[in-house]
Amino acid sequence: MDSLSMQDRRRLTRSVGYLAMALIVLVIGLPVWWMFSGSLKTSQEIYTFPPDWIPRNPRWSNFTDAWQSAPFGRFYFNSIVTTVLGSALEITNATLSAYALAYLRFPFKNVIFALLLAAMMIPSQVTVLPNYVFFGATVFDLIGESWVNTYQAIILPGASVAFGTFLMRQSFLGLPREVLDAAKVDGAGHLRTLWDIVLPMARPVLVTFGLISVVAKWNDYLWPLVITQTENMRTLTVGISSFYDLEGNTQWGLVMAATIFVIFPLLVVFVFAQRFIIEGLTAGATKG
Amino acid sequence: MEEGHHAMSNRLNRRSLIKGAAGTAVGAAALGVSKRSKAFAAPTVIQETGSQVKVVFWSAFGGKNGEVEQELIRRFNESQQDVVVEYQFQGTYEETAQKVIAALQARQAPDLAVLSEANWFRFYANNYLAAMDELIAAEELDTADYVESFLTEGQRQDQQWWMSFARSTPLFYYNKQMWAEAGLPDRGPETYTEFAEWGPKLVKKNGNDVSQWGFLHAPATDYISWYHQGTVWAFDGAYSDEEFNVRLAEPNSVKSGEWLRSTVDAGWATASQDRTTDFINGISASMMQSTGQLANLKANAPFEFGAAFLPSEVNPGCPTGGAGMGILSTSPAEKQQAAFKYIAFATSPEITTFWSQNTGYMPVRKSASESPEMQTFYETNPNFRTAVEQLATTKPQDPARRFVPAGDSIIGKGLEELTVNRAEVQPTFEKIKGTLEEEAKPILEQVEAIEG
Amino acid sequence: MVSTTGEGAVPSYGGRTGEQSSSRRTRTEARREGILFVLFMLPNAVLFGLFTYWPMIENVRLSTQRWDMISPIRLGIGLENYRYLLRDGTFHRVLLNTGYFTVAAVGFSLLLGLVVALLLNQPLRFRDGARAVVFAPTLLSGAAIGIVWSYIFDPRYGLLAQVLGWVGIGSPDWLNRPEWSMPAIIIVYVWKNLGFAAVIFLAGLQAIPRDLYDAAKVDGANPWWRFRSVTLPMLSPITFFLLVTSILNTFQAFDIIRVMTQGGPADATNTLIYYVYEQGFVALNAGRSAAASLVLFVLMMIVTLVQLRFTEDRVHYG
Repeated sequence: MDSLSMQDRRRLTRSVGYLAMALIVLVIGLPVWWMFSGSLKTSQEIYTFPPDWIPRNPRWSNFTDAWQSAPFGRFYFNSIVTTVLGSALEITNATLSAYALAYLRFPFKNVIFALLLAAMMIPSQVTVLPNYVFFGATVFDLIGESWVNTYQAIILPGASVAFGTFLMRQSFLGLPREVLDAAKVDGAGHLRTLWDIVLPMARPVLVTFGLISVVAKWNDYLWPLVITQTENMRTLTVGISSFYDLEGNTQWGLVMAATIFVIFPLLVVFVFAQRFIIEGLTAGATKG
Repeated sequence: MEEGHHAMSNRLNRRSLIKGAAGTAVGAAALGVSKRSKAFAAPTVIQETGSQVKVVFWSAFGGKNGEVEQELIRRFNESQQDVVVEYQFQGTYEETAQKVIAALQARQAPDLAVLSEANWFRFYANNYLAAMDELIAAEELDTADYVESFLTEGQRQDQQWWMSFARSTPLFYYNKQMWAEAGLPDRGPETYTEFAEWGPKLVKKNGNDVSQWGFLHAPATDYISWYHQGTVWAFDGAYSDEEFNVRLAEPNSVKSGEWLRSTVDAGWATASQDRTTDFINGISASMMQSTGQLANLKANAPFEFGAAFLPSEVNPGCPTGGAGMGILSTSPAEKQQAAFKYIAFATSPEITTFWSQNTGYMPVRKSASESPEMQTFYETNPNFRTAVEQLATTKPQDPARRFVPAGDSIIGKGLEELTVNRAEVQPTFEKIKGTLEEEAKPILEQVEAIEG
Repeated sequence: MVSTTGEGAVPSYGGRTGEQSSSRRTRTEARREGILFVLFMLPNAVLFGLFTYWPMIENVRLSTQRWDMISPIRLGIGLENYRYLLRDGTFHRVLLNTGYFTVAAVGFSLLLGLVVALLLNQPLRFRDGARAVVFAPTLLSGAAIGIVWSYIFDPRYGLLAQVLGWVGIGSPDWLNRPEWSMPAIIIVYVWKNLGFAAVIFLAGLQAIPRDLYDAAKVDGANPWWRFRSVTLPMLSPITFFLLVTSILNTFQAFDIIRVMTQGGPADATNTLIYYVYEQGFVALNAGRSAAASLVLFVLMMIVTLVQLRFTEDRVHYG
């Protein structure tokens, strides 16, 4: 120990650090690599041991074959529609609720807030059946047609938001009060305050929550699985799992190509927005 | 008080179930009579208005079989102008049934659905299936040409409620190359005892790791209870009798369980979540699988395989299975008639032949299996013939699996305890028995309510 | 729950202006604020009522009924569904599985997350890139990831078989063996979620004031002691946050299990959330499913409350 100089020791720990970091990146990244390499393998190549890390003759036609064996184009369209509309509603709801909870006086506000938070403890899986019956029988009784297998049915149950409200409320409360008071003195109403002052200041959280919301909608599985009945209404996650479930021989090459259809858009979003997501999330957690 | 009520209704319902079973013979006869006795005007109405009737059809065939079925629908839609069938694939038999049930709650049920032999009864017991006799008469269906056991299985109270379409039996599939390597004759084992002698010869090991299994057991989610139905009969046991008395804990039934467990204990068989893929990839020398997988295996297995009867023991034992089609009673009469037109089309001799050759499901029409076309096909594809020949030894499954809600899953999970956890057989089967008896109560009450 | 630090510490903007205003203006203003509050909260509240709270109440009703989801009759049977759960061997195993899964998945996610965070807190180049890679799986669809891992776990041709082969270990038959299927699910879960814990821990580490360490150094504390006396206590609110969110998350882990094992083999990966689904949508026992879902809900409440209680004295509010 003593024979090592301070500098040597520092260099040693640093190398160990880089090594450990590389190891972690490798462990986390390998499965994703496996998915990519699998998507380019022939069936024969999949079933050889030891496996090839890099496909010898990349079989790009796995992607076109997979694309053609289920209406993935339509799945994409459905996922995009439900994600965009669902997230827009969720963000609007979160913003309005958070503003009300942070800045507006109301009797038993804390109780309302607590009720909102308690909703986070109700797993959405538990509400699936009653909600299904609601969109079918109840809506049918009310308006004469069922909403099962419609976009509004996929979207609406996920349009209410507790986590986002909580996140944004915390962030709103953290804004400097002087600015808000000044706005008030200037005679700005609440809508103006929200739009011109609070939202611009809270933009990082808004972006973060927006991204989280988009991710959650895109990945949602059980509810679209239950509420959609026809292939042309299925979202990507439902489409991929029924593609995988098909009885008979699992063709991993095609299946891996299809999983990339699901994952790829989010990976792209992440590459461009990871800073927002990570830093926004951590800010929410550490300040909460 | 409540106990007494249950006991009484139980007895009553058992009787009504027997009545239902006995009624099938009468039903067949009645069908013959009713066939031409009732004029049916509705189809002409459809023609008069000139509008097409849309039939929403939910089905359970994925992969290759799904493609074949879509071809059927394409041909049907092109063959006439009155009816358009809109096809929707919903998943496995179980998932399709769940979807239909959920859709009934949501008033969004399809007009026509593929329902497995273990699922249709539940819909019938709740009045959700449309009676077919009048429709059969209107279409002048030649019921005498249908394989009788397939036809009568869908009858209750002298009425047809469910029409066999994709009927199957389990087959014993084996890899001929591995069979030869192990020095075994080119046939399936004749008895379970013989199979137990062969099994160890088929195993290959890499140190402690098995690289080739002699046999793979199905998981509960892929109907192990269906395959074991054959085994339990072979040992002269049963899941239950026709009067709904569960017989699983009786000595002979337990013997079948002992055999099942012994295959795992002796190390030549194991449970697999996806044995078809494993079989195709040479991980197992044999498996039991449905006839409905014949075409898929033929297309994908890179080796020659044989399809044999299930082994016998004291008796031969092999259940029928697969699915048929039911028309939902929630649909308007016009759609029911239109839906039946599709049933008639899909089970016509010509289409039956096409369907059977391309999937492996058994022909439901006698004229189809006897046709020269089918006979030539059997010459070149002897594996396909095995299923049809085995039919003579098959019978419908015990009511405990077919009629008890989730009966398949209850028995299947119990059997999985043996193949996966190597549990003691007797207590495991006692436990299944208790559960089955408990779960049977509601359906018995419903049957009484509907059949009186 | 997580709100313990917020509410008391930061007085609301509305409250403060209220103090400053004259009483009459306050009253009209309060009315207008009240109306605005209702308007702002209404969409969220209505949707919550309709799609979260009402279904929960409906579940309470369903849990006292026998209903196969198809019959027009729902039979009232009192507490029979709960009695069934009490005596059902499968349900007992489901509870054990849920405990096993939760403890292991949360434990490993947090532990490994902390280790990764400590590493990435060092002044290393590319650490932001590494952080992104570690975090990425959190965002990926559980259904898709479950499928990918099913391929990885293939005992003969899978990635893991290859990696284990390097160290001379044969691959277990992960998804077909009851003793290995749960570890497999846990591995996937931890792989997918440790990045979240790591990123949050990292933020917590970076928020610890340097002078605390300097002070500890002056006191002659060695690195381990500094970790125990400074890092851990300062991280406790974050650990608490992660513990709560992770437990709530594992209780709801569904898509991975559904895609990879369907609760099997022989119920080895059947957890409470899967049981709720299975009883409802596979066995079609709506009543039992509802009863089990209420058990799940109560468990989630209890965990939250116990944690609150337990950590109230210990958590260091930084």
